[in-house]
Amino acid sequence: MSATPFDEMHNADGSIREPYLILEDWLKGQPPQALSYMSADAESLFRRLGITFAVYGSNEGTEKLIPFDIIPRIISALEWRKLSRGIEQRVRALNAFLYDIYHRQEILKAGRVPEKLILNNSAFCPQMMGLDPARGIYSHIIGTDIVRTGPDDFYVLEDNLRTPSGVSYMLENREAMLQLAPELFQRYKVAPVETYPETLRRTMESVAPGGIHGSPNLVVLTPGIHNSAYFEHSFLADQMGAMLCEGQDLFVENGKVYMRTTTGPERVDVIYRRIDDDFLDPLTFRPDSMLGVPGLFDAYRAGNVTLVNAPGTGIADDKAVYVYVPEIIEFYLGEKALLKNVPTYNCTNDDERAYVLEHLGELVVKEVHGSGGYGMLVGPASTKAQREEFKRRILARPDNYIVQPTLALSTCPTFVEKGIAPRHVDLRPYVLVGDDVRITPGGLTRVALKRGSLVVNSSQGGGTKDTWVLED
Amino acid sequence: MQIAIRHKLSLALGQGIARSVQHVLLTPLTGPTQTVREWSIDMPGIGKAASFIDAFGNRAHLVSQTRPEGELTISVAGIVDTIDRNGVVGRVPGDIPPALYRRPTALTKAAGSITSKFRSTPKTGQDRIALLHGLMARVAEVVGGGEQSQSQDGQSQSQAQAAKPPAADYAHAFIGAARALDIPARYVTGYLYAEGDEPAALHAWAEAWDGGLGWIGFDPLLLLCPTDRHVRVAVGLDAVTTMPVRSIPVVGEPQVLSMSVEAAQ
Repeated sequence: MSATPFDEMHNADGSIREPYLILEDWLKGQPPQALSYMSADAESLFRRLGITFAVYGSNEGTEKLIPFDIIPRIISALEWRKLSRGIEQRVRALNAFLYDIYHRQEILKAGRVPEKLILNNSAFCPQMMGLDPARGIYSHIIGTDIVRTGPDDFYVLEDNLRTPSGVSYMLENREAMLQLAPELFQRYKVAPVETYPETLRRTMESVAPGGIHGSPNLVVLTPGIHNSAYFEHSFLADQMGAMLCEGQDLFVENGKVYMRTTTGPERVDVIYRRIDDDFLDPLTFRPDSMLGVPGLFDAYRAGNVTLVNAPGTGIADDKAVYVYVPEIIEFYLGEKALLKNVPTYNCTNDDERAYVLEHLGELVVKEVHGSGGYGMLVGPASTKAQREEFKRRILARPDNYIVQPTLALSTCPTFVEKGIAPRHVDLRPYVLVGDDVRITPGGLTRVALKRGSLVVNSSQGGGTKDTWVLED
Repeated sequence: MQIAIRHKLSLALGQGIARSVQHVLLTPLTGPTQTVREWSIDMPGIGKAASFIDAFGNRAHLVSQTRPEGELTISVAGIVDTIDRNGVVGRVPGDIPPALYRRPTALTKAAGSITSKFRSTPKTGQDRIALLHGLMARVAEVVGGGEQSQSQDGQSQSQAQAAKPPAADYAHAFIGAARALDIPARYVTGYLYAEGDEPAALHAWAEAWDGGLGWIGFDPLLLLCPTDRHVRVAVGLDAVTTMPVRSIPVVGEPQVLSMSVEAAQ
């Protein structure tokens, strides 16, 4: 680790950065113990709301509460404008890329992205070829992972164009802060995030198939209560006034999708599906899937229902495709990428692999198809045995890993046992794409609660914060 | 040649089913090698089926039934005019990029015993056509079992012939090998007008891509390029993406009840 991490609250000389001035004043005015009490209040609030998540591979009780930090992260209006412009650019380019590779594949013909990387990729979905989704949009719901390393340095870590989760935490964190520190909202003009469910509904309505009378019927399709994000599925359905369905609640008849209700079958127009591509429809994808709806994909192909997000979007957020995103932006938009990519080593290249194996202790290794911090090596925090293990794995399957330098993630003040201390954070803003691109101001800030730790994943001991974007 | 086709198959769904749904790929399209004069599919639910073009350019039907009988009967009939173009299908407007057909699938793994001979063979111009013919012959040899059965002791030649592998095995072997040699290749299902021993199932063969001629058919089971006796029905990556009928639920393979492919006069 080279440079000192960027502190979002303090300037190098110890003075307070502008967006945090009021917060600093408020924190000073709090009686001793007040923050502890607030923290306890927050925890009981979340327990009451029932926001828990399942940790895969953990056997001590499956449901856990993600720790919530009561000190908000604050982003100025100017910073947000820059950031959201960059995110919007990426999202537009990646949707254009998806349209192209499932149609004429101009970017492959032009040789700007290697053909084999796309066409032989398991995340590429041949069944999507030639299909024209409503408004040409493939990824409607996106959660772009961003890290910050300096006042103007934002990097995109992952684009998450499949079924990003965590938006319910963004909403509940705000709800909690409004209850815990209402006076702070009097002093700060914080842009609302509460509009997200309504915007999601409008986005889904805007991509409904043609020829519908009245307002389209929307559902959220969940794999069921055993899924780690089931709480979020039911929460979102409830918040936007859509039905929450499992595969068995839906059926296909005469090429159309219906929902079983107590008053008879009801036509379904737009499905926000939280089931992975492979399990969506046993007639087209995995025949052994019990979670999906037989015939759903054909009904989609026939233009009788919209799937949000489309199958096959994973090819655009594949970790091996990630390195080409700046190229993709230039190709479709004719613009330079506004947000930076993290420099990435390609282990199939002899020189780069040699460098990687020499420097594993300083690097981050990720599995190409991994997520949630599983199957990952964080060099500076690794043991010799772990590094030896990853060395063996990289040599065995160099194409299965990407390797990046360890970034000095920015820190935010965080309430920990010994008081307030800086902890590393990342940010996942949520983007909705329908008749327009809408980015909810804020997002989910994840914080590594362990001192010095850079791993913010909730499955690995991370917590969350409310994220405030200030209005002008 | 004018070919009349009648094909009846049955599908066991099981008893007491609330709903069933099928993806049906049994509609030939007019193209460079054939003109479809008449075509009909008769099965429960076909009248209200959704009809659409699938990812590979085939005409597909999504058919469903409520409280179906335990067994579903599908009758297909039609008349198709064919012309012999020495297997050359060429280019069809709206075809997906040929490069997609380099994608390996579980069913199209390349056998080293087939590809090894061709690793350093030139692949452009007339050489490519020669290579593909050589490949077809090699596939017929290896899949047909001519090689291995020599060394088997008691196994007689006639036994090996009686258990001749289905057309799908030949097509998959050809496609796998072509893709391993970086040549796009696709799977074709269709009907075959054969005097004498008629196949009791749909036929299958392969098409390989040539930058000059476009798609060219190769039928490694018959060891020839498709002629006017071949009627193309569907194309795809392999037998899974071109399966004539996929169904949920389903019990076992579809059974051919009757099939006649005749020269219509």
